[in-house]
Amino acid sequence: MADAASGSTDRSVQVKLVLLGEAAVGKSSVVLRFVSNEFQANKEPTIGAAFLTQKCRLEDRVLRYEIWDTAGQERFHSLAPMYYRNAQAAVVVYDVTKASSLEKAKTWVKELQRQANPNIVIALAGNKIDLVQPSSSSSSTPSSPEPEDEADDATATPGENAGDGEGESLRQVPREEAEAYAQEAGLLFFETSAKTGEGIVEIFTEIAKKIPIDQILASSRGGANRAGAAGGRAAGQEGGVNLDENAGKGKDACNC
Amino acid sequence: MATISTQLRNFKEPTKEQLTQLFFSLPPEPLYNGDPSTPDKGMGELEKMEISAMLTVSGEEPCTGKLYLIPPYLAFASLDRKSVRFTIPLCTIRKVERLSARAGVYALGLSLWHQMKIIVQLTALRPTADLFCSLLRDALKSELQRGQMKAVKGFVNTCYSEVMVSLDDSKDGPATKSDEHTESMYLGGLGLKFKFPGDPKKLREASKTKLWISYLKTHGRNLTLLRFPQCTRLVQVGLPNRLRGEMWETLSGSVYLRFANPGEYERILEQNKGRTSTSTEEIEKDLHRSLPEYSAYQSDVGIAALRRVLQAYSFKNPETGYCQAMNILAAAILIYMSEEQAFWLLEVICDRLLPGYYSTSMHGTLLDQRVFESLVHRCLPVIHDHFQQVDVQLSVASLPWFLSLFINSMPMVFAFRIIDCFFCMGPKVLFQVASDNTAILKINGEKLLQIQDDGGFIHLMREYFASLGDSAHPDSPDPRARAITRFQELLLVSFREFAVITDDTILSERRKFRSEVVHSIESFSKRSAIRNLKTLERFNKDQAGLIYDALFKAICIIPPPAVSLPPPTLLTTKEATEERPETRIELRTFKVFLSEICTWARTEKVVSNGFQQRVDREVADHELIDRLFYFWDTAYRGALSFQDLVSGLDGVMFNDLMENIEWFFNLHDKNKDGFLSKDEVLTLCESLLFIFRFEIGDAYLGAVSRFMSNAFEYGDALLPAKEGPNGEEELPQIESNQPYINLATFRMVVLADEILESFFETDFSATFKLEPVPMMEIPNSNNGILGGLWSNIASDDNRKIFHKFTDEIGKSIGKHQILYRPAIGKFTTLEEPKARESLLTPTMRRSASKASLSATDSSTSISVATSQLSQLNVDLDASTTSLPSSIFSPVPPMLQAANAVAFMERTPFAIDDAKDDDEESEDGSEFEDGVMDEVDAFIEAHDTGLTEAERELAKDLINAEPVK
Repeated sequence: MADAASGSTDRSVQVKLVLLGEAAVGKSSVVLRFVSNEFQANKEPTIGAAFLTQKCRLEDRVLRYEIWDTAGQERFHSLAPMYYRNAQAAVVVYDVTKASSLEKAKTWVKELQRQANPNIVIALAGNKIDLVQPSSSSSSTPSSPEPEDEADDATATPGENAGDGEGESLRQVPREEAEAYAQEAGLLFFETSAKTGEGIVEIFTEIAKKIPIDQILASSRGGANRAGAAGGRAAGQEGGVNLDENAGKGKDACNC
Repeated sequence: MATISTQLRNFKEPTKEQLTQLFFSLPPEPLYNGDPSTPDKGMGELEKMEISAMLTVSGEEPCTGKLYLIPPYLAFASLDRKSVRFTIPLCTIRKVERLSARAGVYALGLSLWHQMKIIVQLTALRPTADLFCSLLRDALKSELQRGQMKAVKGFVNTCYSEVMVSLDDSKDGPATKSDEHTESMYLGGLGLKFKFPGDPKKLREASKTKLWISYLKTHGRNLTLLRFPQCTRLVQVGLPNRLRGEMWETLSGSVYLRFANPGEYERILEQNKGRTSTSTEEIEKDLHRSLPEYSAYQSDVGIAALRRVLQAYSFKNPETGYCQAMNILAAAILIYMSEEQAFWLLEVICDRLLPGYYSTSMHGTLLDQRVFESLVHRCLPVIHDHFQQVDVQLSVASLPWFLSLFINSMPMVFAFRIIDCFFCMGPKVLFQVASDNTAILKINGEKLLQIQDDGGFIHLMREYFASLGDSAHPDSPDPRARAITRFQELLLVSFREFAVITDDTILSERRKFRSEVVHSIESFSKRSAIRNLKTLERFNKDQAGLIYDALFKAICIIPPPAVSLPPPTLLTTKEATEERPETRIELRTFKVFLSEICTWARTEKVVSNGFQQRVDREVADHELIDRLFYFWDTAYRGALSFQDLVSGLDGVMFNDLMENIEWFFNLHDKNKDGFLSKDEVLTLCESLLFIFRFEIGDAYLGAVSRFMSNAFEYGDALLPAKEGPNGEEELPQIESNQPYINLATFRMVVLADEILESFFETDFSATFKLEPVPMMEIPNSNNGILGGLWSNIASDDNRKIFHKFTDEIGKSIGKHQILYRPAIGKFTTLEEPKARESLLTPTMRRSASKASLSATDSSTSISVATSQLSQLNVDLDASTTSLPSSIFSPVPPMLQAANAVAFMERTPFAIDDAKDDDEESEDGSEFEDGVMDEVDAFIEAHDTGLTEAERELAKDLINAEPVK
């Protein structure tokens, strides 16, 4: 469960993570599954961004994920820099039943690699594999707790009914293709289902392993982190909605 | 982001007139005039007028303020502009009487549809009052002619308030038969069938309804609602569920849109039946995700209604289309109102109340977040400073508040109460409540200090919102204090503490930050556009940026057609199927674009007239440019994207001699068969002549003519010779459109000529220059009225007039010169260059031209330009233009100079004069009681709502008799 805003006092390591991806690929559902192990069939679209936290134990350390779940619609794109600034990790989600969503994911990756924190850990997640798995598709299990929900995820590609036909035909993004891309771009890769929970925890565990925790600890322990961030910001603009946030920081951020 | 929008540049500060219209929630005029169903000629000619007046309504204190005639509406606002106001369509005025009272008092009694009478005493000078009356009469007459008066009855029957009042009446008297009938006609929301959110008992629906009935009985309702302080108070305690939809409509003014456009909603849906678009796809995705916990949206009825409203909006406003958050808004208002009402209300929200919030750039949202931040800085400096220190961005929490009117953030019943106030008092409510939310943190200082990051802030806000129903003072001994919920306190504090946030504050803050926000949006989309290029080719990012700037400027000047997915064609390639919408420019825009980059694609006249020297730049027009456009249009779409332009420029700007020759050859080889036909050779020569059109001397002319003769000579020689019948070699006959010379021949012919060689070696590539585009100013009038005035004067048109005027003077004093700036400008004298005369070696020249590729700050200044100008042109111009005028102008130059000054100063006066004219045009339009009575009589004939007794009563109320 999400813990309260007890913030900096506990000894856990804070990791800022941002979720990006096309509209209705299941970003919020992925987070919801991770944070409260729930699934809602008709999740309201995220407006602006939602914020959730979840603790995660890795070996002897406790990570506290601060998750920014962003809006997916194209026009919200310009708000994204506000959320991914200073993020240490990003999960870029696409929908395995929608080829165009992978294209969008690629542009997000490109943007993150150029604009965001240079050490950002990026994971690519192909969501909704429950729709393409034969086991969960046609065989509507009457024992399901939410019978009306099965294969009726409203956020699935419209016009396609997951209930009939074999699931694999719905798949538009072959696992191999996405995996190859992820490897080439240096991303972690997962196929997930927020509905069944498959692969969700793995994303966050793998990210946790890959994140340079000691660096984060070192910087936050010295207190230089906060002061540095605030100072840097004050030197720039007053803050607010500032799309040029990165402009003054990275050398490569000037015009990309 | 593959679309480039210049929409933000088109913003204009609202004029005073528009602000008044906004204030009174009037529909924008084009909609009103543009309605095809009402051929209302002359409606635009009806004059607007405002006049000081005192309003008297029975049961209320008289109130002084201003009366506005804005056909087809009559509006009133008290002096403080908030306590008392109304906006009523003229067609609801059933009768106008001049009241005879004490001498010198000029009062009108207006009988309105809902059987009330209001008295306005015009407290202005008599001629002004007379003028107002005559304008009012004209406007009423016009409404009568349009048949609007008859529409009122049917319309008001769609309003629930009528039922509410008549039900109440029938409680006292015998129930009338018509009740059942009327009840079935009124429009209502999904809540009627699926229940309204919240517990009616807790919401005290019954007593609220009672209060409203008594108010609506005496102060009009729906179209004729008069808003006195009591009305605002009643709104602030929360509208009763059944009345809520209608009151939203009335308070926001969307009711006027619905009234003025009957059947429009159905028509839009009918016309677009079965149509799909990006918006409809996006809408489908979200239909089941809009207030899913409300039972109506778990059924087809609710989903279908939501779909229709959102689709209708997106069809009507294709530029905005559909934005997430609109689904939540629409779903929320549909609980309380019918689809048609919701459609118009959505229109008012997106267009007027929250302008630009849901647009593709979401500039309105970004701007208001910036404004909000600044207001917090001003009103709550402590919080602002703390947030600044720990690097918390307010907007991470506040953005959703504004976008979805708190519906997603607060428990729904509370959000609806904020929305009540929002429609009643305008967008400032959002700022006040949002500030207050933030202020709540101040009370709880301990928690505030714990906030170290964005996440903590959001958590705290979420907890606070969840606790809105709790008691604000749980420990208070006073049970009444304990009963006050946090929400009540929130509203109270919002309106009391943050009263400083007014509409004017918000307007001026928006003005202040607009250009900053526009700039950051534009630079963001520029960066994305460059990042999204498939390839930068050989350009670096800065150069691509300069190409983008030129493109952006061209789009500003000649906007491309609306961005849409290409229609499916037979030629649809694999690539085209998955493509997202992209801005593509047509030939007209391309010409402007090219003129920014390429010296021969523009005509630059250096004009000097003794007063000033300036460069007039015009976009050139030649077949060569068209040819280039289609040459670069490799996908045969008839339009070019940013990528096409980058790739196209890459194909020409980095070329060496041989590449340039080949490029030029290919450009003119229309059928790409590797040969130029004779026609194509001629076209090629024309292209060359076009490029050389302003070069000095006839060196280039000579070169082209040599080229032509050489080309035909070689071409003929290389044709397979035929033996003539007489044994002589016969000139081979070849059709002018047949393959004639190939690249090798062409190359040979070009290289045979010194000048052409040097042209293709370096000069041609050098005619393409990437220079910083002098950016057009973002419309911005920081200086309020004065700034607006100045920008009016300094507008392009006036500048043109000024230029023309100084030119005239220049001509008359013999100083007027027009010099055309050459595209290459290598030769500065008339002398024909001898062979191999150039001082620069080819390599030196190349390096010089390559240097011009890199962005340089200094565009050629005028002084440099003049040195390159031809004396020949000077003489020509001087003899043709300046001679006659200097002969025929006996006015001494000094005097003319003085005239010029006078002319410059006259502009503002001219504007003032025009205004005065407006006001003085009253001559001959005296108040004629006779005609007025005619109109009255007509209205009365159709008037069914008034009984004689009521009329008597109304008259008694003010102790005055109508003049007769």
